[in-house]
Amino acid sequence: MSVPPPFRKVLIANRGEIACRIIRTLHKLGIAAVAVHHASERRARHVREADEAWELAGPTPVAAHLDGGQIVEIARRAGAEAVHPGYGFLSENAGFARQVAEAGLVFVGPDAETIHLMGDKIRARDFAAAHGVPVAPSVTPTGDLAAFVAEAEAIGFPLLIKAAAGGGGKGMSIVRHRGELAERARVAASEAERYFSDGRVYAELYVERPRHIEVQVLGDGQGGVLHLYERECSVQRRFQKIVEEAPAASLPAALREEICAAAVRLASAARYRNAGTVEFILAPDGRFFFLEMNTRLQVEHPVTEMVTGLDLVKAQLEIAAGGGLPLAQEQVALTGHAIECRLCAEDPERDFLPETGRILALDEPAGPALRFESGLLEGQAVTSDFDPMLAKLVVHGGDRAAAIEAGLAALDRLVLLGVGTNQDYLSRLLGHPAFRAGRLHTGFVAEHAGDLAAVPPEAALRDAALVAAALGFREFRALAFETPEPYASMGGWRN
Amino acid sequence: MALALLLGAEAAGIEIVRRRPHLVVRIDGREHEVVERDEADGRTRIELDGRPLALACAADGNTRFLRLGGRNLRVSLVDPRDAAAAGEGGGDEIRAPMPGSVVTLHKAEGEAVLRGETILTIESMKLQTALVSPRDGVVELLLRGEGQTFDKDEVVVRLASPSAPGPSEPAPPEPATAEASPAADAKGAA
Repeated sequence: MSVPPPFRKVLIANRGEIACRIIRTLHKLGIAAVAVHHASERRARHVREADEAWELAGPTPVAAHLDGGQIVEIARRAGAEAVHPGYGFLSENAGFARQVAEAGLVFVGPDAETIHLMGDKIRARDFAAAHGVPVAPSVTPTGDLAAFVAEAEAIGFPLLIKAAAGGGGKGMSIVRHRGELAERARVAASEAERYFSDGRVYAELYVERPRHIEVQVLGDGQGGVLHLYERECSVQRRFQKIVEEAPAASLPAALREEICAAAVRLASAARYRNAGTVEFILAPDGRFFFLEMNTRLQVEHPVTEMVTGLDLVKAQLEIAAGGGLPLAQEQVALTGHAIECRLCAEDPERDFLPETGRILALDEPAGPALRFESGLLEGQAVTSDFDPMLAKLVVHGGDRAAAIEAGLAALDRLVLLGVGTNQDYLSRLLGHPAFRAGRLHTGFVAEHAGDLAAVPPEAALRDAALVAAALGFREFRALAFETPEPYASMGGWRN
Repeated sequence: MALALLLGAEAAGIEIVRRRPHLVVRIDGREHEVVERDEADGRTRIELDGRPLALACAADGNTRFLRLGGRNLRVSLVDPRDAAAAGEGGGDEIRAPMPGSVVTLHKAEGEAVLRGETILTIESMKLQTALVSPRDGVVELLLRGEGQTFDKDEVVVRLASPSAPGPSEPAPPEPATAEASPAADAKGAA
């Protein structure tokens, strides 16, 4: 049978690994892909893989990718029928979704009103509470710090302060004692003002040892919603996820049903259209609270794809084209276990501070139950222009233990040299007894910081590294060999 | 004859013991036989003490990035000029741990700081980080103002050298405590 593709041409308003991942599905469906890029990214992989690429003007690369007006204009001129925003950048920008729609194009995501509703954490929270989705006790957001402090004190401690418009940990702070509250609130408000031009903050009960459980949903925009089960993203550093898995490490079946049902209830009430994720905090006692809804494709969507066998980008395109939900809830089946590791240019030994450099060698692991999602090319510079995430390593196994082994093997095989990364840290993390046992919570990284720290290489490895490196230095070769060999003759040394 | 290298941040020397029949090197008193073999695929394989190394390597100037033994390791050739400079008052400079820009200056030039006190807040890739003073002292020079950018490892703050003549008074001798070791006492008296 031959089904006509949902669109003929789609513009991807993004870059990096997610742009490459979307292009892959577009090509599979026979849809032409339009890439956009800043001048500094002319040779980027997503530009090469797209059928056509348009350059964005902008003072900085990030500013260029945030210029919605320019992107819509390019989409129109390129003859694209739809715009896929990926994640980050303009993906949760209601104004951009509106601009796309007003230009007569299809935004691959929910409508502007839904993005607006869910984009403000307080509005979203109130909406969730109104529809019977549990929320944590909290303080109403305000720009009035004195009122905020008084209300927050009444909830008790520990408290979590958040920016009303926030994300990615900005403006977030845990307050354990009354005495710290006023100063933490002031700092959070100023950070919120700086990042989001909105200084309103709110606070909620802080759950100790919480797990981050999120539910992937697909909605048809008419109230029809199905869920693709949950993902666990409890392993985080700096409030950002680094290891995600599907299904959750260990979740009683009844609780899973309850959480997924709550997510469906929320999305259905919002008449949610397209792919979205409802995030929850799960307390050790089994209580769970609505955190937020992400109105876009998630970074960690591949783990859901691996356990359900679905292509979420394909589903997004079909829904956007008006095709409705691609399957019924009863048809969603889970197989095995999937784990994603986010490979980042950062130094785990220095509080995960970003690293810069150049990708000098790249040898990606490959296999049938493995995805290495990246937008990387050898020779590419890793700068501080964009997020430090370089790639995602996603593996699937028959069960969680098998997925962990597959992850460890793939991390071991990966060669990515030239910039400091968290590759070895991820190996230590996956191999940690507490991770293997599924004893996860969002403080996992801090709790096991000692065990997860790098140990100096043992003498044999140290010597081998020194010898291997020394043989690559002209200075050493001159000393070691009477007739120094021409440097160029050293085949096998990758430059 | 030894070659000075850095493995990560740790200094190491590699010495040549013999060149024939095979190269033998010494590291920390341990000797190793090193053989390079040209493979059919045009690559060179290194054998260390008779065992081939499973190795991936990339070069950038005086630095080699290695994947070996399931780990990523970085080895740099020590430039003798850098080595000489490193000895001088390392504790007087605060270097940027990453490229970025200054968000807030918490101290002014000439102001006293305590060990661990924040001198400036920097930002890189939307992450804010406090740069703290490594010791008690006085801020001598702020090399970057608010909003200004810098590269990784660039000096952003200089502290007045404790030995330099200035308003600070010599520290009074530490009172002897029960924990003080005899060696520390002897040092204090000198």
